[in-house]
Amino acid sequence: MSVAERRPALAEQVTLLDLVDRVLNKGVVVTGDITLAVADVDLVYVGLRLLLASAATLEREAAG
Amino acid sequence: MIEAPAGTAWYVYGVGEDDPALSRLAGVELIRRGGLTAVVREVPLAEFDEAVLPERLNDREWLERNARAHEDVLQAAAAVTAVVPLRFGTIYRSREHVERMLDERAEEFGATLDQVRGHVEVGVKAWIDLRTLERTLAGGDEPTAGGEGAAYLQRRQREQQRSREVAVRCAELAEEAHSRLSSQAVAAVANRPQPRELTGRSESMLLNGAYLIREGDDRLRRELEHLAAVHAAAGVEYELTGPWPPHNFAGEQR
Repeated sequence: MSVAERRPALAEQVTLLDLVDRVLNKGVVVTGDITLAVADVDLVYVGLRLLLASAATLEREAAG
Repeated sequence: MIEAPAGTAWYVYGVGEDDPALSRLAGVELIRRGGLTAVVREVPLAEFDEAVLPERLNDREWLERNARAHEDVLQAAAAVTAVVPLRFGTIYRSREHVERMLDERAEEFGATLDQVRGHVEVGVKAWIDLRTLERTLAGGDEPTAGGEGAAYLQRRQREQQRSREVAVRCAELAEEAHSRLSSQAVAAVANRPQPRELTGRSESMLLNGAYLIREGDDRLRRELEHLAAVHAAAGVEYELTGPWPPHNFAGEQR
């Protein structure tokens, strides 16, 4: 049985979602002078969802 | 829109040891202090000021470019030495502030570096095709007694029973996979599965796990192949990503 495999070294194969999951939602939190308050990645998800929805609409319009 | 302040700031990607190999990294600067090295880049404050960040984060192009830049720097650093990834968007107004941060957190960074040195993070996602799973659970449709109303009620009850069984089986499969994979790792985290609206796949994500393993250790991959073979009939597919810098094992999480 094979297991699908993706290596992040091939940057284009890492989905934005995987990046958001790790880069914005993980990593040690130290208090910078400016610390991005992404306390909950849901905020970013909400933004992404809207963007993806609008991208899909645009594609449909372009295709239609 | 709120006016962004002029000037530059120091974006900190991660913290490593004072390893000369880090000076080979291109496009970044190093701030060294007490045996630790912060991997930083000078960025325009206008891009990252608190006032504009919420707006930027909802700009897909901006988010993707900067999230990739963050990951690329950490991957390059992790390729040459042990590194503790910092969360996206950790920014200081001066080099002195970065030095003070290294002083204040020296002990914690040291402990995390000890844990991640010689290790990599790998990600495992499990996807489930619910229709395949339902078929494996399907009992025969017993003949219904009574009139039409009774038949309808029985059908409804069976459907509800079926969806409870599916939920229970999904939880069991996820638990089994995570526990078997964890047994082959130094540390493990089960993250919240990504929502289907965003993955764009028809299958649901069952498991979104991260595992810290010794570099070159093949045991987790073998366990995964075993799981994939055993769970294929239930409609589960596995996906392995990595090696990643140890984002999920960087110490204090929030």
